[in-house]
Amino acid sequence: MRDFMKFYSSLVDRCFNDCINDFTSKTLTTKEETCIQRCTDKFLKHNERVGQRFAEYNQGVAAQAQSAQSGSGGWFGGGR
Amino acid sequence: MSFLPFGGGGGSSQEINQQNVAMVEQEYEAVTETFYRIVDSCYKKCIPPKYIEGELNKGESVCIDRCFSKYIEVTTKIGEALAKKGQESGKGGFGV
Repeated sequence: MRDFMKFYSSLVDRCFNDCINDFTSKTLTTKEETCIQRCTDKFLKHNERVGQRFAEYNQGVAAQAQSAQSGSGGWFGGGR
Repeated sequence: MSFLPFGGGGGSSQEINQQNVAMVEQEYEAVTETFYRIVDSCYKKCIPPKYIEGELNKGESVCIDRCFSKYIEVTTKIGEALAKKGQESGKGGFGV
């Protein structure tokens, strides 16, 4: 839930900043609405794509850790 | 949670010890945080704020993939450098 709110607010923040720059009216113009729609779509797709790369990367790391069997694993090849 | 390659060595499955739980939680937080940062950075760098379409175009997609790889590479490089520094000074420095 916390993750969702974080995601939601970052999306709103981004699209608001990118799309809304005119304050001569207090409601959204059609143009702004279209922009928001596209910005949202784009961001969701972006998020999805990074998620895919992320999953691939983690699978690679997990496989490496498993084959090393030492279990030191961890992220970024970093020790702790 | 299959993407958490923490070293599950040690204790039997029965003893769910508090320390392990805390470690997994911490790792989960770190992974999530990293994910959001990559999303944020690569969006800023790859997606121009002119929304002509809602799709990712070819150029943007390629940019995102490369951006991701580079982000990981930078993270690794800096991690290594910090680790080396830590070893040299002996004191460990950051409690990472």
